[in-house]
Amino acid sequence: MKLWWAALILSFGCFLPTFGEEESEARLLVSKNILNQYLVEGKDLTVEYKVFNVGGKVAFDVVLNDNSFPQSSFTPVSGSLKATWERITPNSNVTHAVILKPLKSGYFNFTSADVSYLTSEESKERTFGYSSFPGEGGIVPQREFDRRFSPHVLDWLVFAFMTLPSLGIPYLLWYSSKSKYDQPKPKKN
Amino acid sequence: MTSIVQALLAVSLVLLPVSIYGDTCLAPQVKSQSYSTPEAIVSFDTVLIVEFSLTCKNNLKNVNLYADVAGRTIPATRIGEPNKYQISITDEPKKLPSGAYEIRFFDEEGFALLRKAQRSGESTSSLKPLFTITLNHPGIWSGPLIQSEFVAAMTAIIVWWMAYTQRGKLLA
Repeated sequence: MKLWWAALILSFGCFLPTFGEEESEARLLVSKNILNQYLVEGKDLTVEYKVFNVGGKVAFDVVLNDNSFPQSSFTPVSGSLKATWERITPNSNVTHAVILKPLKSGYFNFTSADVSYLTSEESKERTFGYSSFPGEGGIVPQREFDRRFSPHVLDWLVFAFMTLPSLGIPYLLWYSSKSKYDQPKPKKN
Repeated sequence: MTSIVQALLAVSLVLLPVSIYGDTCLAPQVKSQSYSTPEAIVSFDTVLIVEFSLTCKNNLKNVNLYADVAGRTIPATRIGEPNKYQISITDEPKKLPSGAYEIRFFDEEGFALLRKAQRSGESTSSLKPLFTITLNHPGIWSGPLIQSEFVAAMTAIIVWWMAYTQRGKLLA
């Protein structure tokens, strides 16, 4: 019986503090998403980060840092891969977007970004976390993409030029004979 | 006694502007560059980004800024170097149509006034922002309206139809 009571008190002891902590601390969840319909070499790559504060308190000095894009494969177009917010209030979210340009085609593993923050204004210790990771994505070579999606205007013009003799020569023949024999009827008077 | 109170009042009145404008950015100078999603394949959502650097006459560093654009209030993100900021707006293309977006920036104080006006349902257009940046979103290109294959097929049909009618006239 004593043991049973002890177990009960222990289990309560385990639960209560965690409940209290979750209520009073800032807690950030970060999502990282690639918004592209197609990943194409040399075309913009849109990365969106969303930081949610699901805790009960304001998160201070939030630093989002993404080191997962090597300079040899990506060049920045707009936006910064390092972002800082002074504070993020509970039950709110902030959005951050970065535009990059892939320099190489092939498969690339999009991994997570790092986030660190202070759970309260006085706390010295930073809390570290990771964003979600979009996973592997195939970057299509520019030529491949153009072959599938470009309007092929030049190709069609070449095609029209090549069909010109087979249409044009009979037309010229017909036109010359028509203008020779199809003279306007002489006026009857 | 009353004279002391009056004197204190006078002193506080004199100091009031100092305490208010102590952390306000004076004569803000802004250099900005913006980005907006150019074509549909690049992103499902429309993304608008403004990067800017802020220089104050009174050398204020790392001011907290808030942006008010298209009915949403967002905190400005500080990026890398001091006094460099970024604003990112992402939403469905329908909700962010093409056009010019006027982004109004407020500091903490202006933001408090803005929130107050928003809460009481007043118009926020009368509030004077610290500075504004205009972002021009030319719209998203989602491919040609008509496919080139369609144009080629139509041309072929017209040529054939003209030849066929001429042949019909000859045989008649």
